[in-house]
Amino acid sequence: MLPINIRPDKLSAEMLDFSQKLSKGMENLLNAKPIDTGVSPKEAVYKEDKLVLYRYHALPDVPKKQIPLLIVYALVNRPYMTDLQEDRSTVKGLLATGQDVYLIDWGYPDQADHSITLDDYINGYIDRCVDYICHTHNLPSLNILGICQGGTLSLCYTALHGSKVKNLVTMVTPVDFKTPQDMLSAWVQHMDVNMCVDTMGNVPGELLNWTFLSLKPFSLTGQKYINMVDLLDDESKVQNFLRMEKWIFDSPDQAGETFRQFIQDFYQNNKLILGTLTIGEHEIALKNITCPVLNIYALQDHLVPPVASQALKNKTSSADYTELAFPGGHIGIYVSRKAQKDVTPAIGKWLNVRS
Amino acid sequence: MMDTPFGNTDWMELQRKYWQTWTDMGLKAMNQKNPGTLAWEGALDYWRQALTVNAPDVSKVLMDKLLDQSKLFMRLTDEFFRNANSNSTSGNMEDWLDTVQKTFANPFTGFIANSNEQTEVMRRMLAFWELPFDNWQRIVSSLALVPGDALFNIPHEQVKDKLQQVLSAPGLGYTREEQTQYQDLLRQGLQYQSTLRDYMQFFSSLGIKSAERMRLRLSELSTKGSTIESARELYDLWVSCCEDIYAEQVMTPEYAMLYGRLINSLMAFKHRMTTIVDESLGTLNMPTRAELRTLQDRLQETRRENKALRHDLETLRELVATLNIKHTNIDTDNAATAVISN
Repeated sequence: MLPINIRPDKLSAEMLDFSQKLSKGMENLLNAKPIDTGVSPKEAVYKEDKLVLYRYHALPDVPKKQIPLLIVYALVNRPYMTDLQEDRSTVKGLLATGQDVYLIDWGYPDQADHSITLDDYINGYIDRCVDYICHTHNLPSLNILGICQGGTLSLCYTALHGSKVKNLVTMVTPVDFKTPQDMLSAWVQHMDVNMCVDTMGNVPGELLNWTFLSLKPFSLTGQKYINMVDLLDDESKVQNFLRMEKWIFDSPDQAGETFRQFIQDFYQNNKLILGTLTIGEHEIALKNITCPVLNIYALQDHLVPPVASQALKNKTSSADYTELAFPGGHIGIYVSRKAQKDVTPAIGKWLNVRS
Repeated sequence: MMDTPFGNTDWMELQRKYWQTWTDMGLKAMNQKNPGTLAWEGALDYWRQALTVNAPDVSKVLMDKLLDQSKLFMRLTDEFFRNANSNSTSGNMEDWLDTVQKTFANPFTGFIANSNEQTEVMRRMLAFWELPFDNWQRIVSSLALVPGDALFNIPHEQVKDKLQQVLSAPGLGYTREEQTQYQDLLRQGLQYQSTLRDYMQFFSSLGIKSAERMRLRLSELSTKGSTIESARELYDLWVSCCEDIYAEQVMTPEYAMLYGRLINSLMAFKHRMTTIVDESLGTLNMPTRAELRTLQDRLQETRRENKALRHDLETLRELVATLNIKHTNIDTDNAATAVISN
């Protein structure tokens, strides 16, 4: 006998309750307000091509630290995840610790940008943003917070331009791209990236989205919406959910040449950890990183397995290497209440001690 | 008057009553031994038609997803409890799991959405495992000049041999190169379709494994003395079993190969199509994609060089400015020394 004991009358009541919640929720959805994202006040201080460098306004009564912090976000998805809403904002948390926060918004590459390479991103865009900030503050170096793929780019940048990076924080950053739990890595091993890029030019955001959602298709494209029905009667939760949905499906296309190199060199050949990576004409050696490093990873990360980030340990020459494990997922590390309480203040504290 | 998108509370109230009536019908239907139609599902369809048309853009997509998934949840619930007796629903679960396994064992009678042979029961049951496949089809449609369904519907199995014969025939006459290209395009289309079938076959095998895992999990619960007391608990357990099996299987080398083949075959098809379009544009003396790429590459190279030169120029300017300051300071110092000496 199977352990299922659902009486028809109970089932009917449950379905009625579900239907009523759904109908009430639909009314809330009909009245949903336009979604706002990126809530903290900021100003665009530098622009180049589609890139915009933002500087966030300091919080009142919080003295600014001298060394500015540059956030380098991933090329996939949009950086407003770091400032999603008033009570779930990594940026706001950093401002609260006195950081002078800058953030790179990469924009949406189109077909005219398909020739942009990783060299252009790392030794071009990031370097010029760093120069701009250092020049503005009359400082030789700044702090960098690299997030996800942005963390990988930041590692490459720091390995090449170590004198300009005072402290480096990496967050859910893949370093070893061939760990056993890495589903994304397993999938792309037999993909003909040259054929993809030569055919499509840029790689469409929809394709990347499909890949990310395919990591957990039943939860991410099914169960999530059923669970949402329970929250639909709360207008603010509906608004939060819509905001998150907007972010999830707001995936910029990837510049073809960058995608080609990222998949081939990082995912297929794991060159970063093997020390055989070249960006432009420069060899990337993680051993060249000597500044203090804070490496943060999420224990339930389904995109970047913790072990893929932990691989950074002992790969740099930093005498001041710290790890922080967050008990949550790849997204929760920016937006969960626990992250607001534990992760962001920890970054601020770590930086303040060293700046 | 309440501020609704329709400007009329009566209309909303009417909709609510309408929904309630459908809900009541659903309740009645669930107490019948073999309800003829899925009243829940019908109610949702009407609800969708009435509401989503006037919904704000920000909500429209989410409403669609909520209604789709709610429908799926209701379908599954309906299947779980279709033949329930009046006192308990556990007895029919074994039957349900058996049916799932049998259905997945022969996926091409039920798994393919547009198969005429499938029964309604199978279709509803299998809809859940169509999720990954459906997601893929949406992507293909958004990427393709030819919608994904069109690619999928190329007649294959029935006329495979004849088609291969035609495709192997060499091109003749002035247009032989063009003929070869179109033959290759069709060949790539068939290759993609064949891979897509393998992909679906893979998922159907996962359906069987999920049912086995569900049996195991239920048995574990039984051993622990726990019981499932709601449709949602059962649904969550089914999702969890499917997700676990999926996670295990998509990490296998077999799936990695299949995934690569699926992407590569689609890209090969699109690549051939792009080449044909490019050649047509070329004959019309219009710019082709290949030419644009060459221009974009050259432009990017020039921009890269410009930016590097501008950076070097800026560095030199700063250096000159620094040297000038130093020079001025030296002159001033020399002048001061001269004054003191005098």
